[in-house]
Amino acid sequence: MGPRYIIVAVALAIALAAGVFVAARNQAPDAPTSALALPVPKPVPAFSLLNQFGESVDQSVFEGQWDLVFFGFTHCPDICPTTLQVLAAAKKALADQGREVLPRIVLVSVDPERDSPEILGQYIDYFGDGNLGLTGTLEEVRKLTGGLGIFFQKQSGDDDGADYSVDHSAAVLVIDPDGGFHAVFSGRHVVDNFVHDLPILMGNR
Amino acid sequence: MRLSVALLASALVACGAPKPPLVISELEVTEPIPGRNMSAGFFVLRNNTAEVINITGVYSPQFARVEIHETTVTDGVSRMRRLDALVVPAHGSVVLERGGKHLMLMQAHEGSDAVTLQFLSAGTPVLSVDYVFPKDN
Repeated sequence: MGPRYIIVAVALAIALAAGVFVAARNQAPDAPTSALALPVPKPVPAFSLLNQFGESVDQSVFEGQWDLVFFGFTHCPDICPTTLQVLAAAKKALADQGREVLPRIVLVSVDPERDSPEILGQYIDYFGDGNLGLTGTLEEVRKLTGGLGIFFQKQSGDDDGADYSVDHSAAVLVIDPDGGFHAVFSGRHVVDNFVHDLPILMGNR
Repeated sequence: MRLSVALLASALVACGAPKPPLVISELEVTEPIPGRNMSAGFFVLRNNTAEVINITGVYSPQFARVEIHETTVTDGVSRMRRLDALVVPAHGSVVLERGGKHLMLMQAHEGSDAVTLQFLSAGTPVLSVDYVFPKDN
């Protein structure tokens, strides 16, 4: 191969790379920038929990609407209310845009020992109407979290063990109307990320 | 939902100094969520002295207990731990913010529309601040 062919080959490679870059940039407005969408939605695992009204619900509670699901607990003073405020603000922003399809906000308690349906109901109502809270036995909560790859672990508390904390995944999951785990937002949650990505995720259905 | 701030801070040491040794700003105390009797406190503490100031305790008459906590998110997992002290570097600041260091105010006494925070260093009060919940919230 002579020098002329090498130059042509390099030029072609650069042109190809530039084309791929431009194509990727052109696709960006239609692609989520923060959420990671699963190639194929994963069905929510079977479980039996209580909603905030004390009614028994199973995995079908996730069917029929888009859900933003966060796993936290009501004794959490910082990251849990902050995340729920972000989700509520994102939902309001989408409503202000005139969008008809709005996600439901769901809080699954990773502290069912302290989070009764009544306590959970008071808590989630603070962040808006139409929210769903799920609690129940630790075993049933673990059926749901385990099947979705969500981690949580109770920590030792003070001397009498009352004021303990719970380590938990910070992720927000997107569940589609078929009850499928569709996408995940991880990391530090920002309102604009949800406002940008959710219509794309929901419109791709 | 962010609460507006009305605060009255007074340094209790080094009166007459050009600058107060410890200055608090951007104070926000979250209102207790219904069903919960706890709040969180966020602010910036500025140390105007040449010595490190260790805040080893915070007292509030409106709460049974106040602790200094830090939330970290590592590998996608949120963890909250109690800190023994809040270290305010010499001629520097420490920031208490959502998702990071914060005050955890536990077991609120009912009926309070204001919160007093008294910061202690080795048992000695070094700063007192009042926060008033806005009435329109």
